[in-house]
Amino acid sequence: MLKNRFFPLSLIAVAVLAGCSSMPNTHPTLATATSNYESARSNPQVTRLAPLELHDAGNAVSRAQAALAKGDNAATVDQLAYIAKQKVAIAEAVAKQKTAEQDVANIGAERNQARLQARTAEADAAQQTADRRAAELKTERAKSEAARTQLALSQREGDRKAAALTTAEAKAVQDQALIDQQDEQLKALHAKKTERGMVVTLGDVLFNTDKAKLSAGGIANVGKLADFMSKYPQRRVIIEGNTDSRGSERHNQALSERRADAVKNALIDMGIGSDRITARGLGESSPVATNDSAAGRQLNRRVEIIFPNGSTSANSAQ
Amino acid sequence: MSKTKTHSISSPGLQRIGLVFAVTLLMAGCASVPPPSAQMAVAKVEVNNAMSAGGNEYAPVQLKAAMDELNEAEKAMAVKDYEQARAMAERAEVDAKLAAATARSVKAQKAAETVKADVRVLRNELDRKQQ
Repeated sequence: MLKNRFFPLSLIAVAVLAGCSSMPNTHPTLATATSNYESARSNPQVTRLAPLELHDAGNAVSRAQAALAKGDNAATVDQLAYIAKQKVAIAEAVAKQKTAEQDVANIGAERNQARLQARTAEADAAQQTADRRAAELKTERAKSEAARTQLALSQREGDRKAAALTTAEAKAVQDQALIDQQDEQLKALHAKKTERGMVVTLGDVLFNTDKAKLSAGGIANVGKLADFMSKYPQRRVIIEGNTDSRGSERHNQALSERRADAVKNALIDMGIGSDRITARGLGESSPVATNDSAAGRQLNRRVEIIFPNGSTSANSAQ
Repeated sequence: MSKTKTHSISSPGLQRIGLVFAVTLLMAGCASVPPPSAQMAVAKVEVNNAMSAGGNEYAPVQLKAAMDELNEAEKAMAVKDYEQARAMAERAEVDAKLAAATARSVKAQKAAETVKADVRVLRNELDRKQQ
């Protein structure tokens, strides 16, 4: 618009100036201002962002052109041309400033966007880490729960074992005490410790000669045995009859069996279960002394009552 | 000045009248170019604005020009050359405005550069994180 309005005017001015051959047909500063103004006008940045400044500059250019056209003095034209040129520069500077400010605003938005993305990424990562941690923690907790259960179980097991051990120890002590006690009592029956266990020997004197009947002393001795056995119902006995070598072997065998049975029957009579008693006759096969002397033969004529080892138990004392 | 000589009458009374007339005319001429106080004030304000806008740092040439012109204007005011004073004050005003606008423009461009670099760093970091 300004251009349209003032272009013919400037043409007239140029024509007028051309008429005066002595004067330069252009003013250098004004020419610069005009040309700068034209390029600023064609710059959309300036027209859009510095319209007021550009308008102001346009007016200044027109005033200078008008002054030149009117033939005002050189100082006035110089002054107006200078001001016009500087105003064009101001418009351009303002346009640059606004452009940069818009850039800042736009880039600011972009930066915020980038920051948002960065934060989102961070938050996602943090969330993932947190999820993983939670899962790990859960696993960890389950593990420790299992371990605790296991520990409780094994502790209970340990307690139980310890209790069992204590019981076993107590029982062992008790058993030992019982064994000692039984051994003590068997010793009172003149039992002897042998490889087969405690052995009580009922001598020949407790039987009538060549008879299977217990004498009164023998019955008394068997009574002691019966007391012992009723006191310890787990104990079993083996009763073995023996003879010397005088007489026939068959006779001796039979005699030994009868004597063993006599003791067995005596025990049964005194209330000992027959299943706890084994009786057998060994005849003259197991002498403990020589058969060549009367004393030796008397030792050989005997009934041995054997309490085998290990036939006792913790409950036997009841 | 030549106007005082237009009368060829040489009588002292008439000469006196002519002198008074000339002085009146002179004064009238002076009155047509009053001291540009407002323009001076505007120029000073604009120079101050340019300085506070960072003209010293970002538009030293324009600010120097404006200050020199203001100086010239003040000198002219002192010798009552009001025409020169007005001209110089006008130049000081426009140069100061240019200095301020240039300083603001440079600052804004620097700020834009900083923000651009900032975003570049941020983007790089983001890209690296996403790899």
